[in-house]
Amino acid sequence: MFKQWIRRRPRTTSRLARVVAAAAAAAVLLTAAPPASAAPRLVPIVGIGSTWSANAITAWARNVQASNIQVEYEAAGSTQGRVQFREGKAHFGVSEIPYGMKDIFSGTDSKGSRQSAYMPIVAGGTAFMYNLKIGGRRVTNLRLSGEVIAKIFTGVIRKWNDPAIKADNPGLALPARSIIPVVRQDGSGTTAQFTLWMSKQHQAIWDNYCRKWNKPTPCGITSVYPRQSGSGFVGATGSDGVSGYVRQENAEGAITYVEYSYAINAKFPVVKVLNAGGYYVEPTASNVAVALTRARINKDQKSDDYLTQILDDVYRSSDPRAYPLSSYSYMIIPTRLEYNLTADAGYTLSKFAYYFLCEGQRQAEVLGYSPLPINLVQAGMEQVQKIPSHETINIDQKLRSCNNPTVSADGGNALAKNAPQPSPCDKRGPTQTGTGTAGARQETPVLAAARCGGAGNTAGGGNTAAGGGTTTGAGTPGGTAATAGPTSGIPVPGAAPQIDPDTGEVVGGTAGVAAGEQVAAVPVALDGTDGWRLRHTLMLLAAVLLIALIVGPPLVSQVLQGRRDDHRGDR
Amino acid sequence: MTVVVSPPDPAETAARPAAPRRVRQRRTPSDLAFRGVIRVGGIIVLAVMLLVGIFLTLRAVPALRTMGWRFLTAQEWDPAGGDFGVAGVLIGTLLIAAVAVVIAVPLATGAALYIAEYAPRRIAPVLVNLVDLMAAVPSVVYGIWGLYLLQPHLLVQGEHGEGLPRWLATYLGWFPLFRVDGFDPSDPLGSNSSLTSSTFIAGIIVAMMVTPIISSVMREVFSQAPVGEREGAYALGATRWGMIRSVVLPFGRGGMIGGTMLGLGRALGETIGVYLVISFVFVIQPHILQVGGGSISSLIALRYAESNPIGIAGLMAAGLVLFAMTLLVNFGAGLIINRSRSGAASDA
Repeated sequence: MFKQWIRRRPRTTSRLARVVAAAAAAAVLLTAAPPASAAPRLVPIVGIGSTWSANAITAWARNVQASNIQVEYEAAGSTQGRVQFREGKAHFGVSEIPYGMKDIFSGTDSKGSRQSAYMPIVAGGTAFMYNLKIGGRRVTNLRLSGEVIAKIFTGVIRKWNDPAIKADNPGLALPARSIIPVVRQDGSGTTAQFTLWMSKQHQAIWDNYCRKWNKPTPCGITSVYPRQSGSGFVGATGSDGVSGYVRQENAEGAITYVEYSYAINAKFPVVKVLNAGGYYVEPTASNVAVALTRARINKDQKSDDYLTQILDDVYRSSDPRAYPLSSYSYMIIPTRLEYNLTADAGYTLSKFAYYFLCEGQRQAEVLGYSPLPINLVQAGMEQVQKIPSHETINIDQKLRSCNNPTVSADGGNALAKNAPQPSPCDKRGPTQTGTGTAGARQETPVLAAARCGGAGNTAGGGNTAAGGGTTTGAGTPGGTAATAGPTSGIPVPGAAPQIDPDTGEVVGGTAGVAAGEQVAAVPVALDGTDGWRLRHTLMLLAAVLLIALIVGPPLVSQVLQGRRDDHRGDR
Repeated sequence: MTVVVSPPDPAETAARPAAPRRVRQRRTPSDLAFRGVIRVGGIIVLAVMLLVGIFLTLRAVPALRTMGWRFLTAQEWDPAGGDFGVAGVLIGTLLIAAVAVVIAVPLATGAALYIAEYAPRRIAPVLVNLVDLMAAVPSVVYGIWGLYLLQPHLLVQGEHGEGLPRWLATYLGWFPLFRVDGFDPSDPLGSNSSLTSSTFIAGIIVAMMVTPIISSVMREVFSQAPVGEREGAYALGATRWGMIRSVVLPFGRGGMIGGTMLGLGRALGETIGVYLVISFVFVIQPHILQVGGGSISSLIALRYAESNPIGIAGLMAAGLVLFAMTLLVNFGAGLIINRSRSGAASDA
């Protein structure tokens, strides 16, 4: 060992010498070469902003690490993203809404003096993740209309067994549990998207809520959700905070608004929201893509808000597959070398942007988002050209190599075109599917009255009879049974299950149980006893007597003994 | 320093025999340099404090001008609407700190006494290191621990929310501090959310953060209890606990109070742990087990991104209030430590 070391030693020194010589040569070269010709280097870049799109950005940042691009992303909320970018504390910001939205709760934020542009990065749906059980079994197929959602988040509907929720869910016997709306307490783009939707679609409900703070109506968008203490609302910080709250076992009855991916990661279900087409849909990648074909994008290249979205038509899209609360998320990119932005950082940012606009979109669906359509990818790549000292590429060539899932041969949006139609059982009406959503795919048993064929399969074959009620004799009994079932609180074993809603045939009770193997539980609320009753008085009395029995005799004897001693002492 | 004692002048001694010797001090250059450095250091610390105060005051002026003294009594926080004040969060800050101190002080006292008096020689240094390590854990880690472990799995556990808060609310709910509105223990479908994200849970997290500080101050003081008095107590037949009660604790009282005050100072300013766990409400919320609360520092963290200038000024004013309060607490701690016997020369 020692010998070896001795033998090696000269070699080490020679290597050292070589390194020194190389370094010296490099130093000479560096000082001699003009700075302009120096190739841009990859440097770590820092971004801050939206938690809505954070799951996608952090996944992309992990993927580019292999190619030596270090991206550090802090998910601190869209408001923080806009402010920190404006103040030059980050190389890029991420926000759901652009600068300058009028916000009567937290004030309108200005763009500031930093030069920037918007670039869409990914699409997704603002989902409603909830924690609800019926008879100890998690509900995974809850459906709500937009109006009910707005009423829940404005404190109008406070119980899960509210008639309006029952009307949306004929197949569920909902418990008399209170609803705990969980909202973001930090400045959030998710809140902004949600309140924007409420202010456009359910203005009266939202304005009524706003009036509690003596705000002028119409109320409009806000990044900070207003909340009164004692109203049953809970505030949490960040998307992780709200989804983390809802997933707690003790948070039964909670519901929150968060990007779809958080529900998938938490293995929790999301609400199927009623769209203008009359169907309850889940914010899957394809449903979001369908809805966003109706988004109006600002195409004025000279405008400060170039590429930003107007979502009014998305909310109202009458396609049966469209998820109403779909939107794009935006990166705020710097367009000038200022606020500590170096040429190297600009170069690194452009490489990262090319990556996620191109390859990154392929993972969007897996991550719980929806890929950008190809025209927005192209517009985004053109925006990258505004980043100082960006990497120059051939955009057309790059686009062809992307394999963007929305590209089809005829130029349409493939994802939207091939999106599966929703199950006809999920059309607004007396039936409901039991299939789970988001991260909780397990089936939820549906009340027999609202069951839709063999777990929705037979009815799914293009037969809309179950919902539409065109088959006489089948629709009506199903419908009446659906309304009667939950209100009476009894599963009605005799009447409803015996009529198959598809065929209208009367089937035997035993056969029905064998076919629909899942039995829905019905929670029953009984009047409990509360307050101080005679029982409690007697219990207390018994306890006192027991203690007296144990402690009493020795005490009494001691007292008597003492008295006797006193007498003896007197004597 | 060199003290030169001038030899008594024989003539002078003869004239005035009662006159004391004159003592002259001549400082060497190294002494002077050292004094200078120390003095500059001290002045810089004071100057920084002063500058922080001045900065906060200047930045807070717009908010204070809008609200005046109402800033201290208003509860709502709505700078965009021109109505904001710290009354709610100030009380919240005090309550969180109080919960933290109530939990941390017994814990820290026990830990310090064990390390200083009971622990075997061999493991005592390990324990000291562990406690110091606890102080080195970043507060965001405590916050995450509170959010993902303490709250859902230890305190409000399962779908009925079993745990200490539920027990307290059920059996001590008649006491106003422990009352929880909207909580009915006899309702199986009742909402347990009213027991989560409360001042109490935030207080426990803060207690974990301040325990090591309090504990190390106490341990230091306990270990300085004079050996002579300890042995005297033993000689009079005291047990170890008797010795601790009659010698160590009275000797260390000043240090215990001082350590507690230092912990309180930190508890008042704790930010991220509270920010992660608590559900913010802007009212005076005296029910510590009930959902909702707040503290000044986490208010600043939460609303810093607010863009309107008056909101930022309001946060600066809130910071000024917190600064003044923490200063008062630490000043009080300093006074008490100085007046105590700990560290003073003993006959040992």
